[in-house]
Amino acid sequence: MLLPYLGLVVGILIGSIGVYGLLNSKNIVRILLSSEIIFNSAILLVFSASAILGRVYLPIVFSIFAVSMGLVEVVVAFAAIILYYRNKDSLEVE
Amino acid sequence: MSLTSDFEISFFIFFGVISITSALFITRQKNVFYAAIGLVFLGISVAAMIALINVSYAFYSAFHILLYVGSTVVFLAISLVMFRGLNVKEVKIPWAPVVALVVGVFIFVDLLITFSGITPVSSLQAFSLQTLANDILQNYWFPAIILIIALLTTMIEAISLARRD
Repeated sequence: MLLPYLGLVVGILIGSIGVYGLLNSKNIVRILLSSEIIFNSAILLVFSASAILGRVYLPIVFSIFAVSMGLVEVVVAFAAIILYYRNKDSLEVE
Repeated sequence: MSLTSDFEISFFIFFGVISITSALFITRQKNVFYAAIGLVFLGISVAAMIALINVSYAFYSAFHILLYVGSTVVFLAISLVMFRGLNVKEVKIPWAPVVALVVGVFIFVDLLITFSGITPVSSLQAFSLQTLANDILQNYWFPAIILIIALLTTMIEAISLARRD
């Protein structure tokens, strides 16, 4: 029963690192990658909390939808990045 | 504590260390292509930790590796090859670690308050794929349709990007 609590701790640490990366960069791709770190930490936190509460199907259904929407989000964000790169010829955020 | 439990905790700590190291690598790496490769290790270690938390979550763990690592991260890494100048200019924002620490402490306190009055469940019910499918088709059919439309839109967008329209 220790693992869900360890999962919460690891999730918080990864999320904090993601927030640090999000704030500490002006590169648009690294901002996207940092948001993906936060996404992974959120998924880990959801499963750790659900294991403590005794839920099985709710976190799985939630995460399946979240990851699939995450895929859509990455593709849309990447299209925006490509357009930005074509216009500015740089990946740096002003 | 049993031998199996000791192994599980050791593996969990091992994957926890890998995930934290990968997250630090992604935020510190100057080349964003290598940072995207770091995201693969983060995704795999998070999937392994989810499977270790409870065996009922092993189905999602496989889904995470297949869909998230297998498509999202690989798409990111391959698409980055299109750009010139992938090196990141470092910016030093002195208050960024402080904000990250505050966010971490805030989530920790929030979880501490939430779980302080809750008795943890010792064992979860066994996972059944049929129950999951019935659950999605009966209770979550509308989000599923929205998701299907979103994925279709993504496919159209990928084709239009490839054609440079």
